[in-house]
Amino acid sequence: MADVEASGKTVDEAIEKALEELGATRDEVEIEVLEEPRSGVLGVGGHEARVRVRWLDDDDDEDDDGDEEEKDADDDAAGQDEDAGDDAGNAAADGDDGEDAEDAEDEAEYAAQMLDALLEMMGVRADVSIRDAETPGDGLGMAVAVLDIEGDDLGLLIGRRGETLASLQYLVNLMVSHQLGEQFFFTIDVEGYRRRREQTLNSIARRTAEQVKRTRRPATLDPMPANERRIIHLALAEDRYVTTESIGDGDERKVSITLKSPQQR
Amino acid sequence: MKELVEYIAKSLVDNPDSVTVTETEERGRVVIHLEVAEDDYGKVIGKNGRIAQAMRALLKVSAVRNECYASLEIGD
Repeated sequence: MADVEASGKTVDEAIEKALEELGATRDEVEIEVLEEPRSGVLGVGGHEARVRVRWLDDDDDEDDDGDEEEKDADDDAAGQDEDAGDDAGNAAADGDDGEDAEDAEDEAEYAAQMLDALLEMMGVRADVSIRDAETPGDGLGMAVAVLDIEGDDLGLLIGRRGETLASLQYLVNLMVSHQLGEQFFFTIDVEGYRRRREQTLNSIARRTAEQVKRTRRPATLDPMPANERRIIHLALAEDRYVTTESIGDGDERKVSITLKSPQQR
Repeated sequence: MKELVEYIAKSLVDNPDSVTVTETEERGRVVIHLEVAEDDYGKVIGKNGRIAQAMRALLKVSAVRNECYASLEIGD
């Protein structure tokens, strides 16, 4: 799965940036410090802290191709509209020969069955279907596939601010990865909740960016989980006039939108 | 509900045969008790209890569907 390199003034800052790019939290990833920050003399010779962050893997595959995966993450940040394609392997990002695509289909099938079994045991009547990730909110570039849950009256399964859905996705990913002996990431959606949330976040991002440009004053959004902050960052990644940054810690972490200086444009 | 916890736990641990789940009822509240092999507790609890918390969230859905209260206890 994708790993991400990031830099920052401190190691912590670099880690936070990388986590955001992945849409992960600290306990879901393995962190490697590539370079400690060093302050130069009179601004010369110093460099920022650099870290590499990757999804936690039970049996540490060291032969991942870091460069290629980083490129995938970059493509993602640029908001490239990737062709949705027909095979589930498309979204798996790494490796694109036919065999991998087939594997990804098997894995998605396995994950869907596991999710189906869980829902049944929870007393929830619903159907699970598999589709490719198409947007940042779907986990494009990170998720093997999206597992859509459709049924009646599934608000209970989403929970307050999507917390129950987040728990379900977290557990299914852990279970599938443990069973298959390799780290996999699936996005789970319930009745299009994530899709709607993504649209809302995109419009919040656009509206707030307009406000920042008009008033020439920075604005800060409400606290959001990592995957939602990532959607905001990506929505404004190509904006010529504003830049985004996450500030605050833990549950209080939020995106701040500021005007770029003329040199940054 | 016992079945749900058992299914999740067995999928997460290295020693699924050592997973024991019991279900008792105390004054209308269902208490699910989960025990796993000594080395597997981290796998069902998680850092800062995150995995346990997620299992409780799913158990809650199950309890609402069954119109009862349920809680999950892990270990002794």
